[in-house]
Amino acid sequence: MSKSKPKQASSEQETPLGLYLHVPFCSTSCDFCGFYQIQSDRKGILSYIDGVKRELELVDAGNRKLDTMFWGGGTPGLLPAADMLKVGAAITDELGMPSQEWTVEMAPSSVKRDKLEALKEAGVTRISMGIQSLNERLLDALGRQHSLKQIHKAYDLIREVGFHSVNVDLIFAIPTQTEEEWRADVRGALALEPDHLSTYCLTFEEDTALFIKLQQGKVSIDPDREARFYTAMWEEAQRGGFEQYEISNYARPGHACLHNVNTWKMAQWIGVGPSASSQWAGTRHTNTPDLKDWLAGLERGERGLVDRVVLNDGLLLEDSLIFGLRMNEGVDLAQLGQRFGRDLTQIALFDQLVEEGQAERVGPSLRLTPKGRMVADAVGEALLGSFG
Amino acid sequence: METVNKRNFSIIAHVDHGKTTLSDRLLEHTNTVAQRVLEAQHLDSMDLERERGITIKSHPVTLVYPAKDGKTYQLNLADTPGHVDFSYEVSRSLAACEGALLLIDAAQGVEAQTVANAHLAEEQGLTIIPVINKIDLPSANLELCLQQLEDLLAIPAEDAILASGKTGIGIEDILEAVVTRIPPPRWSDYQATRCLVFDSVYDAYRGAIAFVRVFSGSIKPKDQVLMMSDHTRAEVKEVGVFTPAQKKVDSLEAGDVGYLVCNIKNPADIKVGDTITQNANPAEEMLPGYKEVRPMVFSGIYPVETNDFEKLKSSMGKLQLNDAAFSFQAESSVALGFGFRCGFLGLLHMEIIQERIRREYGVDIISTYPSVVYKVRKQNGDEIEVDNPINLPDPSHIETIFEPTIVAHIHVPNDCVGDILALVMEKRGSCERTDTLDGTRLILECILPLNEILVDFNDRLKSITRGYGSMEYELGEYRPAKLVKMDILVNGEPVDAFSSIVHAEKAHTKGGELCTKLADIIPPHLFKIAVQAAIGGKIVARDNVRTMRKDVTAKCYGGDISRKRKLLDKQKEGKRKMKNIGNVSIPPDAFIKVLKND
Ligand SMILES: Nc1nc2c(ncn2[C@@H]2O[C@H](COP(=O)(O)OP(=O)(O)O)[C@@H](O)[C@H]2O)c(=O)[nH]1
Ligand code: SF4
Ligand SMILES: [Mg+2]
Repeated sequence: MSKSKPKQASSEQETPLGLYLHVPFCSTSCDFCGFYQIQSDRKGILSYIDGVKRELELVDAGNRKLDTMFWGGGTPGLLPAADMLKVGAAITDELGMPSQEWTVEMAPSSVKRDKLEALKEAGVTRISMGIQSLNERLLDALGRQHSLKQIHKAYDLIREVGFHSVNVDLIFAIPTQTEEEWRADVRGALALEPDHLSTYCLTFEEDTALFIKLQQGKVSIDPDREARFYTAMWEEAQRGGFEQYEISNYARPGHACLHNVNTWKMAQWIGVGPSASSQWAGTRHTNTPDLKDWLAGLERGERGLVDRVVLNDGLLLEDSLIFGLRMNEGVDLAQLGQRFGRDLTQIALFDQLVEEGQAERVGPSLRLTPKGRMVADAVGEALLGSFG
Repeated sequence: METVNKRNFSIIAHVDHGKTTLSDRLLEHTNTVAQRVLEAQHLDSMDLERERGITIKSHPVTLVYPAKDGKTYQLNLADTPGHVDFSYEVSRSLAACEGALLLIDAAQGVEAQTVANAHLAEEQGLTIIPVINKIDLPSANLELCLQQLEDLLAIPAEDAILASGKTGIGIEDILEAVVTRIPPPRWSDYQATRCLVFDSVYDAYRGAIAFVRVFSGSIKPKDQVLMMSDHTRAEVKEVGVFTPAQKKVDSLEAGDVGYLVCNIKNPADIKVGDTITQNANPAEEMLPGYKEVRPMVFSGIYPVETNDFEKLKSSMGKLQLNDAAFSFQAESSVALGFGFRCGFLGLLHMEIIQERIRREYGVDIISTYPSVVYKVRKQNGDEIEVDNPINLPDPSHIETIFEPTIVAHIHVPNDCVGDILALVMEKRGSCERTDTLDGTRLILECILPLNEILVDFNDRLKSITRGYGSMEYELGEYRPAKLVKMDILVNGEPVDAFSSIVHAEKAHTKGGELCTKLADIIPPHLFKIAVQAAIGGKIVARDNVRTMRKDVTAKCYGGDISRKRKLLDKQKEGKRKMKNIGNVSIPPDAFIKVLKND
């Protein structure tokens, strides 16, 4: 893409702007991982940092400043402290300090005091740590990226250095995991007193080691079991004073992840790094999920060539509904109607959802009930293509 | 080769008595198919046959056998299907032969289809060579089998050859018996060429191919031939034999079995049972053809994609060429649009045809609930035939409905007779006669309504008798019955394709069963969907399709909205393959699945 002034649809003018940085390096590959990630080496990291700088040059944000920033991966925390600072500076020099929130994902095994201090110094407000489970056997089953001891040590260190918000990630419905074990994991995680908790039902992403096991019949998917685990999660979170605000996300008041909430509300974000997606400058697009190809593209002055879609109000409205309904607050139909110039007061599907007890209306808003949340993909599927 | 050195025979038996396996040994022993390429069940060449482990079509093959008398013989063999639905296939093969190997599984003894097939062979005046097969089995009971042979089939026990298609015992004896006991080709000195068309297939490159048995004269490329049934003329393009693959030869002579390709475009111009003769010197009389078969079961077949109608039509035309017992005629359905009313010999036949349309012609189809042919006498005295429930007149116009019955011969072990009689009663049948078969078994002659035995009778018979019971039947008379039309409503909308004609007293139970099954087959939907059975507008049963319990994926961050949309789209795509009636997605196989017991 050549440098050009971003052309904005009327509806996206005032929406917040985020930046998602994809750091593709991991120490080893987890069985269930569907993200683009590779083993790191010095040469790779250096070329990556170069690439980030080049990509930022290609993105012209005009005078827009960042509201939020999220570093995910891969394992951003794997980068040495000095490299993280370099990347951070490259971004903030170009787009300013994120005014609301700056999250960095860390793995327990790569949490080091010097890194945390450097991040804190740079302005990071939120650390997200993938602990996956607090059960040794299940950690093993997931490919053992870290030990229980490492989790506790890392968590304590994060708290010691002091960040505004700390998240831990858990995975559930792991093969052989019992519902009791899952409840124990949630309680254990809440006992750490994080500010935020993300819990992901194990998904079988194509091309992962786990997916192959599924195809070989070594593991199986049991939706009823998964449903029980979801329900268990909801109960435990409530008991622990955590509020669910999205299918997989829970937080203490005031600690929801703004960056993610903004994406689900169809704001704008710039994706930097291989495989990162953007919704920016009137299009939605994704970078090639390969370090070399990504770099080669940047050499030619190109980025975001995958899945390029020109945004229009219908599509954005549809996605605001599909992704908005995944959030507990639901969607404000009056506001969306206004933003996209559509009358949303008489949609048969919504009435039917309400009638079946899968959704409820609260003032101008429509939100899914727990029963509806459990079938949020089916709701999304029903919405697909109805406005876009 | 001289005609006197040719032998034509079929292998017949009850299902699973080892026909196809024994054929393998014959191919092997005569080096017809080299050992290294001989797959087990070699003649079951259709994928469908291999998957299901059953023979659907008769398969001809020519063997060359140097006999003990020092002469070399050409043996034309046909492996045949055993299932009752395909007995027409068997009788056509038999008409092309002078003899038959009748196999009896040494552990099972004579079963219903053994008797029925033996009778078919006798009717055609064939020499029967009885073979007690699978004698390698520890449970083999030779004495009992030999006894049954005499008692049930009136075949002298000393005629029997003991064999095993598995170990190869007795293969040489069988080949010798074929040569010495089966007479050389009959009617070979008739003064003109006569070839019996006993089967045909459609080949995408060569068009319609006729499978023939040459009785007299000869036939070769460039010959001008005459199809005697309708006097169609054609020129022969190619002739060949079965090795079992088709192999071109210069000519086919009296006593040979082979194929011929003519310059015939329309598949329908080749009729199974027809006699082909030379146009220059035509025969006066046709060879004895076949009894015309009347389909017993009808069901609608519809394309899933409405614009596949023409494709479906031409596929059916080609398939019919290979399956003369299958018939079709255009019809339409409110739920399914334009399609065809198709006739079959039974449910297995129906299932096989549907599967062949899907696979061999790549058309996605849906079929409706099957029906038999009812005769309806109306109040005004008119009599009509109804093979589709939606055509049943309004009850106020009906005086009497007559339903077809069958006369069944059921072989049952003594200790199961009570349970089988109860089953017969449950199916509204009656037992007319019982005969002892041997010390351990009885033959029950029962009259049953055809529509009652279609669905699960055979399965229930097998399960009650632990596999030892068997049945064979022929069409009986029509008799009056209290029948009503039952409609099925999905989400409040009647789906005519699911309508059926049932006995009034069974309507409630049937309706309940059907609703439960359908509710189970239709995949969980987002919203509650009722499946109801109604008679004359009155709901008699209902069930609900499961609502989706869980359909949500966890991860959705990093901003890759496109990816998530793709996943949802993939999910949606799965439903497009279904038939959408109202806003309910019904899987294409639902219509056949409701018939199955599990
Ligand atoms: N033990 C034994 N099993 C056999 C023999 N012949 C066939 N079978 C088995 O019997 C089953 C039916 O054989 P198949 O040839 O398909 O029978 P068809 O239905 O008559 O063609 C298969 O499982 C065969 O492996 C035999 O001589 N001995
Ligand atoms: S650490 Fe995360 S990104 Fe890396 S392989 Fe494991 S799951 Fe994938
Ligand atoms: Mg067979």
